[in-house]
Amino acid sequence: MKEAALYMHHAERDPAEAKFIAQDTAKRIESKELKLLEVVQSLGEYLTDDDTTVRAKAIGFLAGVLAELGPRSLTRQQVPVITQFLSDRFDDETGLKEIASALTSMTKMHFFGDSEATQVATAMIKVDLPKHPPSTRFAVLTLLDALMSGYRDSLKDMGDKFITGLADMVGGEKDPRNLMILFSIMKVVLVEFDIVRHTELMFDIVYCYFPITFRPPPDDPYGITAQDLKNRLRECIASTRYFAGQVFPSLIEKLDSTSQNVKMDVLHTMKDCALNYGSGTMSTNSSQLWAAVKFEILNAAESDDFANEALLVVKAIATSLSTGLTEVPPANTPLTRYLKSIVKECLDLLQEPQQKQARPAGRILATVATASAPAFAFIMQSVMPALLLIYSDAGSIAKQRAMLQVFNQFFDSAVEIYGTWTTVEAAPSIENPLQEHREKLFEIYSQALMGSNKDETSFRQTGMRGLGKLSNIRKFLEESEIGMVVQYLDEIALGAEEKEEVKDEALQNLREISKFKSNLIMQITFPAFMARLPDSEEESKTENKPYLDTLEALAKLSFERPVFEVLLTRLLNKLEVVLNGGSGPEYPCAILRALLYVLQNKPQGSLDDTKAYYTRLIPPLLTKTILPLASGSGSTVLADDSVLDVTGRLLHIITHALDAESQKLVVENTFNLFISNAPSNLILESSYVVATTFRPLSSDCTPQIAGCTTLLASVLSAVPPAVLSFPSLPAFVEQLATLATTPESPAHRLALLRIITGEKAENHLRILFHITVPLLLRADKVGFSFLTTSLVPLLTTPLGAFCARGFQILLSPSSELSKENHAILRLLYKQRVFSQVVPLLIDGFKQAGSATKPNFLVALSNIIRYIPSSIITPELPKLLPLLLQSMDLEDTGVKAATIETLLVTIAESADVVKEHLGSVVSRLLKATEAPGNPVRVRMMALRCLKAFPGALRRELLLPYKRQVVKMLTGALEDPRRNVRKEAVEARGVWSRLGEGEE
Amino acid sequence: MSSEPANANPTILNLSDLPTRKATTSKPKNTLASATPAYLYDPFAAVPDLDFSGDSEEDDETPEPIDSQEIFDLVATMCDPEHPITLGELAVVNLDHIWITDDDNGLTKTVRLEFTPTITHCHLATVIGLGLVVRLQQSLPPKYRIDVRCREGTHTTDAQLNKQLADKERVLSALENETLMGLVGKMIETCK
Repeated sequence: MKEAALYMHHAERDPAEAKFIAQDTAKRIESKELKLLEVVQSLGEYLTDDDTTVRAKAIGFLAGVLAELGPRSLTRQQVPVITQFLSDRFDDETGLKEIASALTSMTKMHFFGDSEATQVATAMIKVDLPKHPPSTRFAVLTLLDALMSGYRDSLKDMGDKFITGLADMVGGEKDPRNLMILFSIMKVVLVEFDIVRHTELMFDIVYCYFPITFRPPPDDPYGITAQDLKNRLRECIASTRYFAGQVFPSLIEKLDSTSQNVKMDVLHTMKDCALNYGSGTMSTNSSQLWAAVKFEILNAAESDDFANEALLVVKAIATSLSTGLTEVPPANTPLTRYLKSIVKECLDLLQEPQQKQARPAGRILATVATASAPAFAFIMQSVMPALLLIYSDAGSIAKQRAMLQVFNQFFDSAVEIYGTWTTVEAAPSIENPLQEHREKLFEIYSQALMGSNKDETSFRQTGMRGLGKLSNIRKFLEESEIGMVVQYLDEIALGAEEKEEVKDEALQNLREISKFKSNLIMQITFPAFMARLPDSEEESKTENKPYLDTLEALAKLSFERPVFEVLLTRLLNKLEVVLNGGSGPEYPCAILRALLYVLQNKPQGSLDDTKAYYTRLIPPLLTKTILPLASGSGSTVLADDSVLDVTGRLLHIITHALDAESQKLVVENTFNLFISNAPSNLILESSYVVATTFRPLSSDCTPQIAGCTTLLASVLSAVPPAVLSFPSLPAFVEQLATLATTPESPAHRLALLRIITGEKAENHLRILFHITVPLLLRADKVGFSFLTTSLVPLLTTPLGAFCARGFQILLSPSSELSKENHAILRLLYKQRVFSQVVPLLIDGFKQAGSATKPNFLVALSNIIRYIPSSIITPELPKLLPLLLQSMDLEDTGVKAATIETLLVTIAESADVVKEHLGSVVSRLLKATEAPGNPVRVRMMALRCLKAFPGALRRELLLPYKRQVVKMLTGALEDPRRNVRKEAVEARGVWSRLGEGEE
Repeated sequence: MSSEPANANPTILNLSDLPTRKATTSKPKNTLASATPAYLYDPFAAVPDLDFSGDSEEDDETPEPIDSQEIFDLVATMCDPEHPITLGELAVVNLDHIWITDDDNGLTKTVRLEFTPTITHCHLATVIGLGLVVRLQQSLPPKYRIDVRCREGTHTTDAQLNKQLADKERVLSALENETLMGLVGKMIETCK
């Protein structure tokens, strides 16, 4: 048998070759060229060798071969023989690792049965495992894991022998990788095996690891984190209620740990144990746990993580004790006994609702109430009468508000237990215990919101929030009561004397209500709001009806489809009235913006919705816009550039959402209207008149008609290329380009440029830039070469300053050229622009004369501001000198942009700044000086200075501390308050630098 | 915590009840009105609209003198040495107890702040007073003289306490004391 000899030869020197030999042998066994028995026999001489490593290697060969064999390669006769053979070798501990891995392969064999499993386990548990190295222990634990997952019943049948053997074998394990397996094995044992007689033994094995303080080494090949270990260990500890007697006292003791991690782990473990140990066990432990964790909640700051976790412990106990209860619990149940003590304590603390511990007391009650419907019922029945009494006796508004805040938390709990109007799951069978106090609560809250002084903002807001929550609870308030709430909110939202924040919140609440009671919004709010919309600008002024706010409010309430339909009808009617009154462009524009706002912000509707909106909105609107222009009669304000801009956006957003077929029709009719001058179904009346007189693309049309081109641009940018078909694209583009050189208005020019994307060079340059952008986006070579060979050199010419500003559009995000609008965007195009252009700009800057140097800086900052900092960082050493120079420029825009770049730099890669620290700091300090620098430069410079101490090592900064602290005294005196605030903060971090750290 | 806090369960004011600067007269912008039409955005214009979050208001250079609300904002977010609660919420500092006056010499100003300990035997009143002095010294221009005292009748030893706080030498030597400065540093850490 040469294989065995070869393997023995290579095993140490060339493991890969050895593995190959084993694989090859396995293959030959599978193809029946070799017999496994022969392989085993050939190992005979090595197995009796005096050298232990030789024996181990021999088993290693067998293990290697077995690992490669399929599950059916060994016969019913072979499996017991090989198993017996390997199990016997457990005595020979030198090859333990190899034996274990060979047996692990055996467990996967088809004919490996229960008796083999018992045989292996019996032999295995006798091994003195702790004395072996971690990798060997790993192999043995892997074998145990394999037996546990495949032959669990055989192990169970071994009874106490297995349990005690296991305990001897695994005790004292320390390796994290082994612990991961051990914990998962232990969890199975604890849950499924009969361990009652060995509780103490099992507890000792598992609990000795708590709390886990493991810190993974920096180059840990297994990637096991402390959290992984914590989670698995926690599962073990929480898996059997027999541990309760020992676990809880110990956890309570460890709660005093000074380590934050340990404390968190303790609370988390308590929670899991509470949820898993069952109500019987928890009923005996609930009171001591409550006594222990309540301090974490009562003495903590508001959003303390420990307090939150402790709350979950208190709740978990109640959840556990609620098991099986569906009714309001009778007085003698464990749940009521537990809750009673909590209720008593919290009620005491709530007697003075303004004191510090009142708020956490309220939180405890609200949180525990979410444990179950019975818990909610019990707590509400026990506390509500008393709390309502405290409320009515409260002398001050501050006290009343504190109490309302507690109630508000209860309402949140009610939502958690009973759901909202839109919840689908069945409600609990217990009637909502708050129902009994419904009228009283509604009265208190109505009074707080509507009956108190308008200056009591926070009190009224608390009241408003509460009414919102009450309305939200499923089947709680009557329809008429929610109607009242809606009326209150309407009144506030429209009230002239209300504060903005209060109005906003009222609208917010109305919007919530519109989600489940949209009928009330339509019946009550809409008429009220529509009545506030004037018929004309004059009416708006004379009768003090500011239409912008009202329109905004209406828009924000109309995200639900039925509501939006009502809005659409009403606003189109209003538009008609306003236009007939001879209005200017502002009001109609605002009306259309309101519709646009809803379409932009509403959740995605169905295609059918969009089609309906299209029919109802677009053709009527276009007719109203274009027909007056064509026929010469009627209001032409809708053709004002500001209105056309909004109409264009409406057209875009709706067309974009249509299906391809409808889009095709829209495009066809748009082309009829704008290009081929044929009757179009976008015009609802006199479409023949329009076809003969409306020529927006002819060079001699009126400015208003020319301005309508923006509508064409909107449609074109909304549809995918496949939908478009031009009769002759080059000729069309040429026509547009010609028009763009003599624009009627900025809007007209942009519209034309947008479609192909004056006699003065600037206008040509504009066109060049706009054409370059999409070329860059699709990473087209022409675009890049154009950029590098034409645009960059232009920076040194008289057009340079203009050109430098144009660099801004190269990378600025564009709403038309986006993926959604079917533009082609290559990955990494920004990186390409950056890597190709920036070196040119740096070189150009170095060579440029003083007159044109700023152009390069402007161009550079216009590129950099759109580039992710991760790309900039590697180039910073080259850029930084330039940035420093640009801070010396007069141009405040560039200065601000530069400092902003610096700010990002400091946050991302402070090290780069390190070498230039002195000059950076002094330039920034100079930029904080009040006369000479505008407010935003001063603020930015201060913010930048503030960022240093967090980003750079102390030693690097200390040399500048005196200078900075001294110079910033000046900024403390800045005329502007916001600057002073930044100065205080920046100076604060610098003066604390190096203090109390030695 | 080594010892029991002197006042474990103090009364707390609601954050929203603390005095704040009234919102500037300009109304927040209406969402519908603020949408700029696309054609008004022209990068080629001489002063391009730089992408700053702030609006034009940020460039307003009208002087805003330091007032008592500003002083209040400086100290109200400081933390109490015993509770993780701010001095504003605990009503240790109050807007009504801050005064700024021009000194007779016409050059300097005096900020006077009277604070109220949560209970009359609060043993940390000195630390609070010292913390207020340090905070104001760090945050105000040098021409402001700082006068921090404990409000009369709110502490059993207020006279003695005020003597200490008024004594420049003693304040300076207290600032050398590391334990004291550690406490003061913690108080200031939470400032916003």
